[in-house]
Amino acid sequence: MAKYLIRQVLAWLVRIFIAVNLTFFVASAFLDPASNYAERRPPVPPEQIQRMLEPYNLSTNEPLWHRWWDWLTGIVLHWDWGHSPVGEVVNDQVSFRIGMSAQLMMGATIVAFVIGVALGVYSAARQYKLGDRVVQLISIVALNTSIVVVALVVVYLAIQINRATGSRIFFVTGAASIDVAGFWPSLVDKAQHLILPSICLVFISFAQYAMMQRSLLLDNIAADYVRTARAKGLPQAKAIRRHALRTSMIPVMVTFAFSIPAVFTGAMLSENIFAWNGMGQYMVQTILKNDINGAVAVAAFSSLMTAIGAVLSDLCVVWLDPRVRVS
Amino acid sequence: MSLQQSTKDTGEFIDQTTEQDTGKRHTRLALYVKRFRRNVPAVIGLAVFLVLVLVAAFGWLLTPYAIADIDFMALSQPPNPTHWFGTNSTGLDLYSMTVHGLGRSLIIALAVAGLTIVIAAFLGALAAYRGGKTEAVILGVVNFLLVCPVFLLEAVIAQKSGGSWVWLIFVLTLFGWMVTARVIWQLSTSIREREYIAAARYMGVPGIVVVLRHMVPNIGSLLVVQFVLGIVSTVMSETALSFLGFGIKIPDVSLGSLLMDGQKVLSTTPWAFFFPAGTMMLLTVSVALMADGLRDALDPNSAAGGRA
Repeated sequence: MAKYLIRQVLAWLVRIFIAVNLTFFVASAFLDPASNYAERRPPVPPEQIQRMLEPYNLSTNEPLWHRWWDWLTGIVLHWDWGHSPVGEVVNDQVSFRIGMSAQLMMGATIVAFVIGVALGVYSAARQYKLGDRVVQLISIVALNTSIVVVALVVVYLAIQINRATGSRIFFVTGAASIDVAGFWPSLVDKAQHLILPSICLVFISFAQYAMMQRSLLLDNIAADYVRTARAKGLPQAKAIRRHALRTSMIPVMVTFAFSIPAVFTGAMLSENIFAWNGMGQYMVQTILKNDINGAVAVAAFSSLMTAIGAVLSDLCVVWLDPRVRVS
Repeated sequence: MSLQQSTKDTGEFIDQTTEQDTGKRHTRLALYVKRFRRNVPAVIGLAVFLVLVLVAAFGWLLTPYAIADIDFMALSQPPNPTHWFGTNSTGLDLYSMTVHGLGRSLIIALAVAGLTIVIAAFLGALAAYRGGKTEAVILGVVNFLLVCPVFLLEAVIAQKSGGSWVWLIFVLTLFGWMVTARVIWQLSTSIREREYIAAARYMGVPGIVVVLRHMVPNIGSLLVVQFVLGIVSTVMSETALSFLGFGIKIPDVSLGSLLMDGQKVLSTTPWAFFFPAGTMMLLTVSVALMADGLRDALDPNSAAGGRA
């Protein structure tokens, strides 16, 4: 097991290394840091812009090859991911934003998983009845609606509610108000900010768990061991919960494990709509601001998260399913 | 249950006859149509999708306003008989913009879904058929691309294009084929052990011909379903890119760029958001329902085949 795991981890690390370097070259080719200074009044001459970019290792006076080597050695030797074209430190940005994203995403992902599995079990137990049809319909709509549409509808409704009640029940942007002090007031304030983006994220992600859980449970409900359990005298509900659900939840758990790391960058659209200073928003801003080093850092983070997800889901299978043996 | 059983029997019966007698090929199609029509949501999905395609193709005939025609007398007007979907703050007609955006999103979606399925089918089947080094190389590339920050790369490359939709098709195809290729590879590995592949191989049929003539047609149903699902995912990615300002830009219009415009004026002129958003939702949900129906209709082993 340990040997298999080490081999997997090494393979992923090699892939991440290549992916990050590829992103560095693509970003260097397509993003132009000098354009951040082009709008300045009075205009800055191009040579001076290059001189200003030089300390950040972004000047095109230096060949790309040199910049790449400086960038790589900076990371390997000092864990320094560089600066943005206007001098912000990428390390600070990333470490702050990972926490912000985690605040938003962890709760939403877990709630989506619980709701999804519960609805999946509910509709599988009532196959082709009204409840099942309704859940299926909602799931297929939720699964195929863009989060942009969901988020903006939620924002619109929140604004209407705020207007109707004449008070700010929901905040449609940001993570916290600045003028709130004390434990309970800030907790309420946090909830007022968190609720809308969380609703959106739960709405678009519960359906995949619900549909998956339903079809897997249906495969297992007809299995011999569930019939045996029923023949022994177990009620249907108990037979499903104790026997069928246990085996059929394994692939759903695996998908869940795979999706935990992906949530950090997956919230990109909702973070942008709700002005939440997380990794997803940072990714969009780095591209808009031609921040090569920042974009590469986001790429590295998301590659790492994908790899962690893949290894986690492998581990999850071995851990949950006693039939799987890794050699 | 008895209905299900009988469908399965007829399915097998017809399969056998068509293999002996190619003249009766249409009966298989008739069977697919029959199975598809049993799935009511799928039929509704198909109808909605066809209406949307017709609107995208001919909807501009119904309005005197082109997408760039500014009506100075009607700024930020709610929906009315002249401007069916209202106008935005510069006086542009939202109906004609939505129709144009729908067409743009559809073209991109169909092109990307088509191109990715061709690439994925060829590479996936080739990897499964050849095995060994070819398989290792193709799977290596697929696994590598899976760890790549695909959306970031798409955005970085697309923002440089200045909003060209052809460029967007290229970018979305370049980074969009690998998940499908993996699925096709997985299914093909079971097909490569079949007798007819072995027979073709022993008869000395070249590898490429075996892949194109024997393997790809036998995963046809999977390809159709993946193609239709590809339309949904492409519409989603195109919308995401354009919404963030990396995809389609002015003077061109897509559903994503309309949503971006709509977001800015959500509380003052909500119709500028709701019409494009509704159109997009109709498109993705109808296509998804269609995919569901196709999966059941084309797959003889599908549990829901005859019942739904």
